[in-house]
Amino acid sequence: MPALVNYRGDDELHTGGSLCSKDSARLLCVYGPPCKRQRISDSYILFFEQEKKPSIEILPDEILYEIFRRLPNGQARSASACVSNRWLTVLSNVRASEMVHGSSDDVEMVQENDGFLTRCLDGKKATDCRLQSVAVGTSSRGGLGKLSVRGSNKVTKLGFTAIARGCPSLKVLSLWNVPSIGDESLIEISKECHSLEKVDISHCHSISNKGIAAIAENCPNLTSLTIESCKNIGNESLQAVARYCPNLQSISVKDCPNVGDQGVATLLSSLSSVLKKVKLQSLNITDFSLAVIGHYGKSITSLVLTGLQIASQKGFWAMGNAKGLQSLTSLTVVSCYGITDLSLEAIGNGCGFLKQMLIKKCCFVSDKGLVSFTEAAKSLECLQLEECNRISQQGILGALKSNLKSLTIVKCMGIKDLVHETPELTQCASLRSLTVKDCIGFGNTNLAIFGTLCPQLQNVELSGLCGITDTGLYPLLENCQAGLVKVNISNCVNLTDKVVVDLAKIHGGTLKVLNLEGGRRITDESLVAIADNCVLLNDLDVSKCCITDNGLSCLSEGVQIDLQILSVSGCSKVTNKSVPFLKKLGQTLVGLNIQQCNLISSGSVDSLVESLWRCDILY
Amino acid sequence: MLKNLNSKHIQRFSYKYLPQFPISPNSPKLGFSRSQIANYRSNFPTTIMSSSKTIVLRSSDGETFEVDEAVAVESQTIKHMIEDGCADTSIPLPNVTSKILSKVIEYCKKHVETPNADEKVAEEDLKSFDADFVKVDQSTLFDLILAANYLNIKSLLDLTCQTVADMIKGKTPEEIRKTFNIKNDFTPEEEEEVRRENAWAFE
Repeated sequence: MPALVNYRGDDELHTGGSLCSKDSARLLCVYGPPCKRQRISDSYILFFEQEKKPSIEILPDEILYEIFRRLPNGQARSASACVSNRWLTVLSNVRASEMVHGSSDDVEMVQENDGFLTRCLDGKKATDCRLQSVAVGTSSRGGLGKLSVRGSNKVTKLGFTAIARGCPSLKVLSLWNVPSIGDESLIEISKECHSLEKVDISHCHSISNKGIAAIAENCPNLTSLTIESCKNIGNESLQAVARYCPNLQSISVKDCPNVGDQGVATLLSSLSSVLKKVKLQSLNITDFSLAVIGHYGKSITSLVLTGLQIASQKGFWAMGNAKGLQSLTSLTVVSCYGITDLSLEAIGNGCGFLKQMLIKKCCFVSDKGLVSFTEAAKSLECLQLEECNRISQQGILGALKSNLKSLTIVKCMGIKDLVHETPELTQCASLRSLTVKDCIGFGNTNLAIFGTLCPQLQNVELSGLCGITDTGLYPLLENCQAGLVKVNISNCVNLTDKVVVDLAKIHGGTLKVLNLEGGRRITDESLVAIADNCVLLNDLDVSKCCITDNGLSCLSEGVQIDLQILSVSGCSKVTNKSVPFLKKLGQTLVGLNIQQCNLISSGSVDSLVESLWRCDILY
Repeated sequence: MLKNLNSKHIQRFSYKYLPQFPISPNSPKLGFSRSQIANYRSNFPTTIMSSSKTIVLRSSDGETFEVDEAVAVESQTIKHMIEDGCADTSIPLPNVTSKILSKVIEYCKKHVETPNADEKVAEEDLKSFDADFVKVDQSTLFDLILAANYLNIKSLLDLTCQTVADMIKGKTPEEIRKTFNIKNDFTPEEEEEVRRENAWAFE
């Protein structure tokens, strides 16, 4: 035999085929020309060597399992995991409860495995191998508490079985876009991980009711369940959850075509004493479910209803009229055709403790509804209206009669400047925060009215309004007795330096946050005024303004005690000369944005980065 | 009715026919004749301490081994075969060679002879026997494991698996591969992944 294994490369080739019983060796002898040097590959040698030396590979998986059960400590387990794929697979299937020695030998290790560790597996890096290694590696170092797998089609049941067996302390499980995982994986996890508290499943098309029902049955501590875009999950899942999870506090179901009234109604009625947060989006539920919410929602504090296209006015009216939503403090309705004046009023009447309301894309709400709602909802503090195009100035002013603290209006096209001022205008002393964004028709008149009506404003955001000019803003600045703290006048192209100068002079003592982004007519003059007056300024954003190095030099000499965040991105006139000023400002800066400042060279940027090591610089 | 039942049936339904209290051959008042008692004895040899019954075991290479029944039934597999009545001639064990079978028999004999470790001396004696028993080369050790698994001898399986587990303890993965001649079949990416989670153990 040694003669045949001629790896030293002697010139002789022995054709004695009978020495060896292996066919491949005989072939080599027969077909190789006799005087040529015999070259034998490495694997061939190993093949022979394996015959001589025994290998543990002859033992079947069950025996390996028995051996791994008796490994003394976490170190041995981790070392064994790195040996080969087969060892990793068998080792990761050993349950923690079946280990013979437990953690008695791990003197320094944490005795309780309470689930302290978190693992996030994304995309290409999410494989079964990684899951198995996580299961083995975390088991003796504190246990895996949170696992999230995103965007992978390589993980299979093998990986999840390993996680189930190795990590019984799993508390939070998130699966996003993992189409290869099906019910069997969830069933495995539910058999072992009884401490699951939060489950989040999104875009997993292979998971059906059986998987969710298994989790519900075996994990009584479930407090939060989120299901999104899973076409095979239906009413039975929600019914199983209703039956077996008495601690569920938060449920969110989005875009599951098989979920309907039956599931939602069962869930809400069974868990009425514990369920706090409910979010239902793009489901085929009807008025019936809304009525059930109204009757049984006594513990619900936050309710979000989005895209409910089948539910009509009757449903929302019934929801409000039932007067069962006694704990509701925050309500959000988006794109629901059933929200009309009538139903909105009923909701206002029925929810006595409602504090925050967001109405978006509900095109049937008009001024009348808004006014009656704000009159009825006595505790309302925050009102946000987005894309409700039937609302006009009158509705807003009517809404201001209540004790609102914060009003936000975004993209409401119905708001236009009044031709004449209405006679009855009561002051709104409670309004602290006003935000008007992207409303094309909003002009100086409206702004002036707000200015006179709301003396206690502290936060003002007027962005994307091309209809306002300096003259409109001045009354507001003048009338604010409380002193503005946060001002955002970004993307209002008709505002000039005068506004900023006035703002700095009047409110310089209280101003903390100022955003002038996109102000094409803002120049160094504004920066001079800010530098002279705004002592408490924390956050300044002058992106895309026409400022130059001079402005920044004045700013660096300014009275600001603690300027933490500065953004000059897109300011094309800022050059390398500003770098020393920025360094001076950098003594207090925590964040600096100099993106798209093309006249600052990369050398200067590097020196900035070096000297402002405490500051987070975007470039 | 008793006469029509064969030994197999009596063993299965034995609980119905056993007398309820301990019997002695000289207590006629219990109503059992000597012949009945003798019949009972011959059908339940395991309940009596000294039995002269032997079992013949045949290894895969044709060698036969004669062992006491008490020793043979350390193996649950053999025990079931006896109970099922297949032990009339000899029991063939096609998966066990004579070399291994002789070692297994030696192990079972020692464990049957030693009473239930009541005295410390006996216990230590058994422990040192076990320690010496597994001082064999790897190939024999693996064959012993396979035999213990096939014959279903729990204590031998425990001992041999624990031995292998102790051989793994304290080694790095490369050392384990060398010791046991294992091929590393991870791809470089997989190896990187496994190391990332488990490298703390051996670095």
